[in-house]
Amino acid sequence: MSDTAQTATPQDPQRLHEDMHEVWGNPRGLKALTIVNHTTLGLRFMVTGMVFFLIGGILAMLVRTQLAFPDQEFMSPEIYNQVFTMHGTVMMFLFAIPMLEGLAIYMIPKMIGARDLVCPRLTSLGYWCYLFGGIILTSSLFLEMAPDSGWFMYTPLSSGEFAPGPGSDFWLLGITFVEISALSAGVELVVSILRTRTRGMSLDKMPLFAWYILAMALMIVVGFPPLILASIMLELERAVGMPFFEVAAGGDPILWQHLFWLFGHPEVYIIFLPAAGIVSTLIPVFAGRPIVGYRWVVVAIIVTGFISFGLWVHHMFTVGIPQLAQAFFSAASMLVAVPTAIQVFVWLATLWLGRPVMKLPMLWVLGFLIIFVCGGLTGVMLALVPFNWQVHDTHFVVAHMHYVLVGGMLFPLMAGLYYWLPLFSGRMPSERLGRWGFWLTFIGFNATFLIMHWTGLLGMPRRIYTYETVMGWDIFNLLSSIGGFVMSAGIAMVLLDIALHFRFGRPAPQNPWNADTLEWTTSMPPSAYNFASLPRVDSRHPLWDDPELPRTIAEGRHDLAVIDHGRRELWGSDPLTGKVREIIHLPGNSWWPLFASLALAVVCVCLLVRLYPLAGFATLVAVGFLLRWSWENGAHPKAAPDAQVQPGDPPLHSRTMDGPGLWAMSIALLANGSFFLSYLFGWFYLWTVSPQWSMPDTSPLSLPLMVLAGVALTAGTLWLEKLVRGLRRQDDRGLAPGLFAVTALGGAQLALLIWVIWQAGLEATETAHDAVLLLGLIYVLLHGALGTILTLLQGLRVGYGYVSAEAPFEPAVVARLWRYNLVVFWVVVFALAAMPMWLGGGA
Amino acid sequence: MLAGCSGDRSILDPAGQAAREVAWLWWGMLAFSTLVLVVITALWLYAFRGGRPTERSSRDEKRIARRWIIGGGLLLPGLSIVVLLAFGVPVGQRMLPLPLPDGQQAERIEVIGHQWWWEVRYPDAEGGEVVTSNQLMMPVGEPVDFHVTGADVIHAFWIPRLGGKIDMIPGRTNVIRLEADVAGVFGAQCAEFCGAQHTNMQLHVEAMPRDDFDAWLAERQAPPEHSDDHQAARDTFVEHCASCHRVAGVSDGQQGPDLSDIGDRVSLGAGRLAMEEGAIGYWLRHHQQLKPGNRMPSHDHLDAETLDDLGAWLETLSP
Amino acid sequence: MSRLALTHPLHLVIGLTLWSLWFVAIYGGLSVACAVAPPAPEQGALTAINVVLGLLTAATTALLAWLAWACLQMARDELGRPRFVAAVSAGLYLFSAVATLFVGIPVIGVPPCL
Repeated sequence: MSDTAQTATPQDPQRLHEDMHEVWGNPRGLKALTIVNHTTLGLRFMVTGMVFFLIGGILAMLVRTQLAFPDQEFMSPEIYNQVFTMHGTVMMFLFAIPMLEGLAIYMIPKMIGARDLVCPRLTSLGYWCYLFGGIILTSSLFLEMAPDSGWFMYTPLSSGEFAPGPGSDFWLLGITFVEISALSAGVELVVSILRTRTRGMSLDKMPLFAWYILAMALMIVVGFPPLILASIMLELERAVGMPFFEVAAGGDPILWQHLFWLFGHPEVYIIFLPAAGIVSTLIPVFAGRPIVGYRWVVVAIIVTGFISFGLWVHHMFTVGIPQLAQAFFSAASMLVAVPTAIQVFVWLATLWLGRPVMKLPMLWVLGFLIIFVCGGLTGVMLALVPFNWQVHDTHFVVAHMHYVLVGGMLFPLMAGLYYWLPLFSGRMPSERLGRWGFWLTFIGFNATFLIMHWTGLLGMPRRIYTYETVMGWDIFNLLSSIGGFVMSAGIAMVLLDIALHFRFGRPAPQNPWNADTLEWTTSMPPSAYNFASLPRVDSRHPLWDDPELPRTIAEGRHDLAVIDHGRRELWGSDPLTGKVREIIHLPGNSWWPLFASLALAVVCVCLLVRLYPLAGFATLVAVGFLLRWSWENGAHPKAAPDAQVQPGDPPLHSRTMDGPGLWAMSIALLANGSFFLSYLFGWFYLWTVSPQWSMPDTSPLSLPLMVLAGVALTAGTLWLEKLVRGLRRQDDRGLAPGLFAVTALGGAQLALLIWVIWQAGLEATETAHDAVLLLGLIYVLLHGALGTILTLLQGLRVGYGYVSAEAPFEPAVVARLWRYNLVVFWVVVFALAAMPMWLGGGA
Repeated sequence: MLAGCSGDRSILDPAGQAAREVAWLWWGMLAFSTLVLVVITALWLYAFRGGRPTERSSRDEKRIARRWIIGGGLLLPGLSIVVLLAFGVPVGQRMLPLPLPDGQQAERIEVIGHQWWWEVRYPDAEGGEVVTSNQLMMPVGEPVDFHVTGADVIHAFWIPRLGGKIDMIPGRTNVIRLEADVAGVFGAQCAEFCGAQHTNMQLHVEAMPRDDFDAWLAERQAPPEHSDDHQAARDTFVEHCASCHRVAGVSDGQQGPDLSDIGDRVSLGAGRLAMEEGAIGYWLRHHQQLKPGNRMPSHDHLDAETLDDLGAWLETLSP
Repeated sequence: MSRLALTHPLHLVIGLTLWSLWFVAIYGGLSVACAVAPPAPEQGALTAINVVLGLLTAATTALLAWLAWACLQMARDELGRPRFVAAVSAGLYLFSAVATLFVGIPVIGVPPCL
């Protein structure tokens, strides 16, 4: 490998740029819909997020108008309930998370020295799913049939009996659709951060922002599936009548709360971590020195990522859980103050030891600090069970959560936007208008929500549409409303400032803030490929070490500066050491992500209007598109037919056994595993805790048949593993017949499973027990089908010459899915069929 | 300051031991939090001061940084939460419905949440169960165990001046023990969002000395007397209302609030409309405007006079 | 060999994963125990459930503390990236141990199923 890139002859930057642009550049016109580039899509995410932010903000102003005076009839109760439900939903699901994902999608490759994310077409799919899901969800507002059960959709209030209209369906389907986008972003961010860092960027030299995003992405991967499961279950209950949450049929509404908050609490930290990452990026730059306690911050990030999964019950302290269990969650909730405090004091020490300057982004960071610390302190109070019993579901909680979310997300986001504006546009923001915007937002925010704590303490419950003067809440509500409008004015001013700067901002110099990270070595605004050549990194501060980097990169003096092969290339590196292992070649622009998400949108709309046959058909179309998309891979002529690389360079990833696809599959299976564990939790929860659970004395599932299906699956998995081991030895003899045989075994498993389901005669609309069983069986059935189809395609690809000893990496990816299916299937056999047999239904 | 804390739903104007302890917890936490916030903010602002000598060896820098991180990041939150739990856990413990000493029995009151009204039952009342709606009488100065559940969706039971809340969940019964130390009227409102009229699901709570409480129960156990003055109104009731509403001695509907003592209540529609002469008739004519979406069908098919007569009769139902 | 393994990045997540498993075990165990065989309220906090949960907590804390100590020793002997991984792992193990102890402490005084 050539380590001598620095001394390579400089090329003409303009010429190199043109050649690179030929391969990487974005098409115009209608074809712009095919773009997969992370810079473009990151911006699309953020602009779309901002639009939803404005919609959510208008809804907030409607709420504040309604509550400004007592006994107001500005909105009817039905409309008011829709408005506050949609305010929370839009802000959480359509603004906060996608906005931060967008920032990460935009920033991460630039910070780690890569040219794009590792699954660019997945980025595109994610964007379209987000856009279509968001449009479907917000359209309900204009149809006046928006969800109205509150943004956490507690059953039975959101169930078919008490919310018969389509509002809940809009929520469940729209949110699940949007979550496809979160999950795909989560998966590819993890793999990108772990596997595509530039040469030499070992784990301990990553920018802290990448650590934060890594944690966020993993939390998305683990944290979102419980909500997806819950949404699917509730939608099945509403649409088909499977009574998962219905007490009379043996279900339990509290299961929804567990699953929702199992997602919902980590989500708060999914929002906070990237924002804290922005703060950790900005503070060293404006203090003019490296962050102190890098290791402390890494510890704090990892701790936050884990502990935040152990807090969910603190949203449920009043549901009547034993006090000892509440004490566990109370203590765990308080513990999360520790990593947060570590970060606050790391930032303080960095400022203390540096020479900080109060530029506009730092003003927002300061605003963040004050608001977020205040929110954190009330958070610790809320973690205290007796106090929580009093203020739970009052405006005190509303105030707390806005302090945490606005302080912990919006303020750092604004700081980050102002900081990176020169990168987005090549121009500097104005200081004056920006400062006005900040102060109005800051003052307005505190006027709204500081007072609201008090309103809550005076006993005002959340989500009431009006109140009477005798309660004594008038003046506080009026002040909150005035504050809300001041804050809106501030936000409007900020947006105006940002809009104007694109036209009137003075051109930014290279590296305007004297930052240390690689994103400032790109051109401003960045080219589609970010770096003409990929620099080697030896410290955490490459740009402070070598301020000449922007020039030498543009001159192609570093790695992978050759482009005449026409491939989109970047380094595949070792996750730990950052040593280069292979060249990853990325797929280019494509219609398939758009088509697939359009088909999914059709599915979503058909389910909404209850056209189930059409929904089934559209699902098949979507699967067809996705499989067709997967066909252009590996050694396919459109991917990388020839494997020629520069002398001394490592091989293309499609010619190795450890491509990023394998990593993406593993991370996707992590999400899938989280989904499955949530399902198991649901099964055991209902079995042990549900008040009117009933279970037949003998399991309706035939254990022998299930074991037989498991044997077929096991045989298939072992055979596939054997074929993969052969490929590892460059031996592809009998590959195609072997793959077809594995397909046949998969088919046998499916047939047996269908027999099991058929002979069990489950009455899934009568009892929660049967409904849960059916759901689990369908889960393993679909996974078996997916494994079988993919194996069949692999067999065909061998015939086309796309898979062989020379291009061996795909069967290994499929084998991982089989391994997962194997484990899950036997767990299902054990938990659903064997355990009830041993323990009996009476338990 | 104290005047600002009062109000019939104010957590900070406690009328019971549990609420009092939580109020004290709040004031303590507020004082400490304010101190922390002010100090941290001041330190940050101080860090921005300019023009100071910054020549430090890297060893010194490390020492200073470590001092901040360990002091502020570990010790400060660590000690704070230990102290907080040391105060907080015993407070929670004292609220548990543990068995009382000397075989005492706490008064048991069942409260059932409906969309959007409260059913209140006194199953252990001497002389037979007493049922009422949207008002809750309780004895003062002794512990009361509230056994709560939801009939349709999840509601939450909360008397802010007495203590913490508990959810009312269909299929489950939760128990919360509260005690009022002063006689008086307290406000209460459903705390868990329960649909269109969550706002108008209020409960009138009155704590009274034991003797008054027993007398109140006894009044409701006396067999009802129905004079013949309102025969027409009673017929209307039996025809149109009886399948949902119970009036002792007249009907046994279970879907809506029990109306046996409605003439004795302070409000209609779970706090929506103050009770006064003619209020029931007005309510019957306009309840879908006053409380849109409530589960009682509108009575547009009955003329105003019939409804007013019906109201006049119901107002006489006062034990 | 085992000393070598302490610089493996997996140690960055093992500690808190153990914490999570322990947490699931005590919360799940408590819920199941209270659903299946709740002790009489008169017993207070001195029940078999509390004892089992307490022992589990103590064992988990001890294991995590030992791992923290081992990683710390490792960090002292290493330089560069391995030192980074071992030191961060040590911090995470220590935090996990303290978190286990802190979250588990209430089993001493709180009755299990009320």
